[in-house]
Amino acid sequence: MNQSQIAQRTWEMANNMESVNAADEIYQYDRKQQQDILQAKPWEKDPHFFKQIKISALALLKMVMHARSGGTLEVMGLMLGKVDGPTMIVMDSFALPVEGTETRVNAQAQAYEYMTGYVEAAKQVGRQENVIGWYHSHPGYGCWLSGIDVSTQMLNQNYQEPFVAIVIDPIRTISSGKVNIGAFRTYPKGYKPPDEGPSEYQTIPLNKIEDFGVHCKQYYSLDISYFKSSLDKKLLDSLWNKYWVNTLSSSSLITNAEYMTRQIFDLSDKLENSETALGRAGLFGLDPQEKKTEDKLSRVTRDSCKTTMEALHGLMAQVVKDRLFNQIPQAQSQAQESAQPSSQAQA
Amino acid sequence: MSAKDMASMEVDEDVAAEATSSSQSLAVESTSQAASGIINVVAPTSPLPQPAQSSASSSSLSVVAGGSNSEVVSGDGGTVMASAGTVGSVSVSLHPLVILNISEHWTRQRAQEGKPVQVLGALIGKQTGRHIEIMNSFELSYDELGGHIIINRDYYTVKEEQYKQVFSDMDLLGWYTTGDTPGPPDLLIHKQVCDLLDSPVFLKLNPMARHTDLPVSIFESVLDLVNGAPTMLLVELQYTLATEEAERIGVDHVARMSSHDTQESSLVAENLQAQYSAIKMLASRVRLIAEYVRASQRGEVEFNHEILRQVNALTHRLPVLSSDKFRGEFYNQCNDVALMSYLGTITKCCNTMNRFINRFNLLHERLAMGRRMRGLFF
Repeated sequence: MNQSQIAQRTWEMANNMESVNAADEIYQYDRKQQQDILQAKPWEKDPHFFKQIKISALALLKMVMHARSGGTLEVMGLMLGKVDGPTMIVMDSFALPVEGTETRVNAQAQAYEYMTGYVEAAKQVGRQENVIGWYHSHPGYGCWLSGIDVSTQMLNQNYQEPFVAIVIDPIRTISSGKVNIGAFRTYPKGYKPPDEGPSEYQTIPLNKIEDFGVHCKQYYSLDISYFKSSLDKKLLDSLWNKYWVNTLSSSSLITNAEYMTRQIFDLSDKLENSETALGRAGLFGLDPQEKKTEDKLSRVTRDSCKTTMEALHGLMAQVVKDRLFNQIPQAQSQAQESAQPSSQAQA
Repeated sequence: MSAKDMASMEVDEDVAAEATSSSQSLAVESTSQAASGIINVVAPTSPLPQPAQSSASSSSLSVVAGGSNSEVVSGDGGTVMASAGTVGSVSVSLHPLVILNISEHWTRQRAQEGKPVQVLGALIGKQTGRHIEIMNSFELSYDELGGHIIINRDYYTVKEEQYKQVFSDMDLLGWYTTGDTPGPPDLLIHKQVCDLLDSPVFLKLNPMARHTDLPVSIFESVLDLVNGAPTMLLVELQYTLATEEAERIGVDHVARMSSHDTQESSLVAENLQAQYSAIKMLASRVRLIAEYVRASQRGEVEFNHEILRQVNALTHRLPVLSSDKFRGEFYNQCNDVALMSYLGTITKCCNTMNRFINRFNLLHERLAMGRRMRGLFF
């Protein structure tokens, strides 16, 4: 009995040690291996070579924070990382001193000097990885590549392989309560992608939808997963011990009021659009047209469902809090107050 | 500095500490603290990142102290922490990004070197009045000279310039390192940072901590008279975690990354889960308070009036908001959302109707065509 316990304990310990090492192994950088991969260039043979991307907790948080700090302006930065088979691994990210609108986001030349300086400096403190991609934010209009983004990415994939583009939407991140992020690689020019199923649907505002539609077949998205070190995990757990208050003290309805209004405006525009299309279709009765309008309307429906859901979630939180903190039965609370001053909150 | 000085200081560190405590009644408390600090450094109870190095630098410290005995006698006798009564002069809020940054820096160095290494970096952020907000950090490179750490100033200048370009509104606030309780070697680095900035804060993260609290402590330095000589001492600062909505979601996201795989689970459940775990946390805290009150009622714990008063004040805050004005606003909000969902439902209805009609037409294709043709002709 006693012995078996000891055996189990040692087994657990050994196992635990192993898992810790495995979790942190990803932080090692094997220069030779990376050089070999760079020499071999397996991605040249298959335009769909990279299928997954792994992002470190730190890189994700840095990107989200940077995107958020830009507000409604687009911001841009670069990522450092490496390659492991068909998986790209993003270890870190850093902001570039560029910010601006869509047209200015491709100001790569301006940032080039900064980039080399930064990577050089990072190498000195043990950050061996090279630049593996760039990220920028699309505040409020979803994660996809615009025409300019596609050409920027294509250029980089020609000269700086391996390279990946990541798009973050900080506003939707807040409205939906989870990080809104997408990772993309473009196909080479002239490549006809195999007709895959419809990509994951997302809401795109009316004034951007054309840009999206024209270019959406020129790139594909990678599966994103995340990793953290054993120390990160421990720290995050203890962070949560201090963080839970914020879940209760924030209201997504208030933080997102502006975004919601914009969404509703956009929805009404889209509805109007589909209405006129519907009217026309009814007049001429052309079958393909009909199909299109149906599609349009159902898309608007999906958008409205999503917006409604988010609002309902916000309200749900509010109701829960109201119930928890405001609606204490008067008589009961008075009775308890004298006896056990604090247990009432449990109820 | 003479070699003889060095040798004597190296050997007699403990003796020096003893001598100080006997000669100065004023510094008794702090010296005894410091003496225990030395024991910590030389014979660490929990594994230090690099025991060999830290003990080396602690002995090298005595080299410096021996050499510059006339000036500020940092850590002569190992006095590091100020007496318990000293209160910090600033309030600090810390962003989780900084913590993750340090954690990653440490993990990366360990993975690359194959053993735990002490890491060093700078903290940047904003200061308004007496409040400091530490928002970001970057790594610093250092050289080891004769066992103790010297910050690479050139590297710092390069980095500072880079950060100024991106985060123009942030300034250098202090520095961070990893390790156990702060010891004399930390003070030496702290002095180097003091050359860059007037009163830097010093953050120490202990990656080897076993308990569940956040193993982060923040200090600032004060100059105090010990033994008649001005000595730099550290004062621990209280800090709060600063949060911003995006950051919270990001942290939440990375903290529960495994849940990303099960995307099939409904959004409602996910949303409620977050609320649930927060409330669970609240309940556990409340239970703790209740437990305490009960225990003091039974007489198991001594009555602490201050705590009980605080508990009382806390309970009196419930209900938090019960004015009519709030009710009105709250119902207003409810109605807004209800209206939104009403609109959403109508849209959905329209869509369903439209699809129904389309399918109906499809079914009676010929009939519909004929009718349309007739409609065109007449």
